[in-house]
Amino acid sequence: MITVHGLTKQYGAVRAVDDLTFDVLPGKVTGFLGPNGAGKSTTMRMVLGLDRPTRGRALVGGRPVAGMAEPLHAVGALLDAGAVHPGRSGRDHLRVAARTHGIPPRRVDEVVDQVGLGPAAKRRVRGYSLGMRQRLGIATALLGDPGVLLFDEPMNGLDLEGVRWIRALVRRLAGEGRTVLLSSHLMSEMEQTADHLVIIGRGRLIADASLADVVRGGAVGQRVRVRTPSAGLLADALRRRGLRVSPADDGDLLVDGAAAETVGDVALAAGAAVHRLAEERSSLEQVYLDLTDTDVEYRVADEPAAVRS
Amino acid sequence: MSAVATPVRPAGPGTATVVARAAGAEWVRLRTVRTTWWCLLAAAVTIVGTGVLMAFDAENVTETGVLPPATWAGEFGVLLGQFALLVAVLLAVTQEYASRAIGPTLQWTPRRGVLLAARVTVPVLVATVAGVLLALVADVAARLIEPGLTLSAADVADSVGRIAAVLAAGGVLAVGLGLLLRSTAGALAAVFLLQLVLPFLLPAFGVEWMADLAELLPGSAAIWTLLGEPDMTAAQATGQLVGWSAVALAAGGWSLLRRDAG
Repeated sequence: MITVHGLTKQYGAVRAVDDLTFDVLPGKVTGFLGPNGAGKSTTMRMVLGLDRPTRGRALVGGRPVAGMAEPLHAVGALLDAGAVHPGRSGRDHLRVAARTHGIPPRRVDEVVDQVGLGPAAKRRVRGYSLGMRQRLGIATALLGDPGVLLFDEPMNGLDLEGVRWIRALVRRLAGEGRTVLLSSHLMSEMEQTADHLVIIGRGRLIADASLADVVRGGAVGQRVRVRTPSAGLLADALRRRGLRVSPADDGDLLVDGAAAETVGDVALAAGAAVHRLAEERSSLEQVYLDLTDTDVEYRVADEPAAVRS
Repeated sequence: MSAVATPVRPAGPGTATVVARAAGAEWVRLRTVRTTWWCLLAAAVTIVGTGVLMAFDAENVTETGVLPPATWAGEFGVLLGQFALLVAVLLAVTQEYASRAIGPTLQWTPRRGVLLAARVTVPVLVATVAGVLLALVADVAARLIEPGLTLSAADVADSVGRIAAVLAAGGVLAVGLGLLLRSTAGALAAVFLLQLVLPFLLPAFGVEWMADLAELLPGSAAIWTLLGEPDMTAAQATGQLVGWSAVALAAGGWSLLRRDAG
């Protein structure tokens, strides 16, 4: 289990992580989502004791990793697949890690086989593809048979087979009762892989809920799309009922948090003709975009916020 | 894969075990990259080569024409060849910042003090032992080439001690600067300037304060320890070797212990 409490990291004037508090529980895959620069990697680095929090604490199994004698038995991590000496073979990289914990060489062979690195393990890392580096990083994370695993963007740059392999792996690790924290920008992957989501933006916690709850209870969880020639009239009427209305890019109106029946009744009372009326269930991607909307560090300059379908 | 480990393991190994493992890992790190072996090869060629050249020209080495002891071969050799050894030590530290491998390293050895102990001890010890052995080879080679050179046990013991002191002090200086600057180019430039370039260059200007300044540098103390020049007392030389190493180690240690991983 990972415990993050009041975690804050300040770099000069920039607050990369701002008073984050959440727990990551064993037995499930927790997706760690946020736009670029939201503070995901910084949070993971503080959990691992690589960066020192300005305030707050991050614990693995109730203890700070920075003080552990044998951290690889508690937590395995893949943060940066490129962070390997290019002149060392993959196998030697693992042997160095094993040596720090007195792990027998037999176990190195096991994880090499488990991640499918095969004969490439004897070659120098310089010649590895990104996929092979990811596999080496995962082998290192698994080396100490830890109860907690952190993967930062493990599917980045992988082909479809690699993505499927990682998805199956993290599902199996969670199924074995381990705590798995997985960050990714690939929303569709999260939808297929994660049980629980922790969403952050600009270093702050936006959501900490099960995947189902996020999809159901997101800002636009229930939304109605209505097409009418009297858009102005209907929008005013809906707003008087306290509903949030925004124009879609094709001229339709989008009504947040309302049922189709409500919108139809309001339209009838207002005398607005309805040409189309549909309830939309939001995808995780859409919920994510809505939740992080105000928290995107680098926004495309001329994208009007309301026009997202 | 075996079942999930019990959440709370029994009390972990003691600090001595953790340091010993970290030191073992440092040794595996050193010997599994080619850079180390290239540096050792360069050191071997320089140290033994210089010694052999000196032996062929032995009667011109001293002003009086009296043949020096054979241990001069190793000492001259180390004066130049130390840089190949210091590069090996330095790269053991700074390469991890260049490749960002310091991240995984600190994931495996998160106690920074433990890593510092291993990272200072192992590369410096390897460089010192290698330098002493190569100097001995140079001494023997010189003696074989010019049988007039004397090779007494007392000279060898004295020479080995001085060479080891110079290499250990230089190695610790390199580790400290590497940890502080975290850049191969920056730390390499600093080590070369302090250890070789400035001690020779500054006095060449003929300005008194520059020459005085040069005498305070670690390289001047190293040169004195090896060759007995320039004029300096043993206490001053020892103080400079120990002092510069201690300051560099303190600064580098602070950087590793207190700053983010890098």
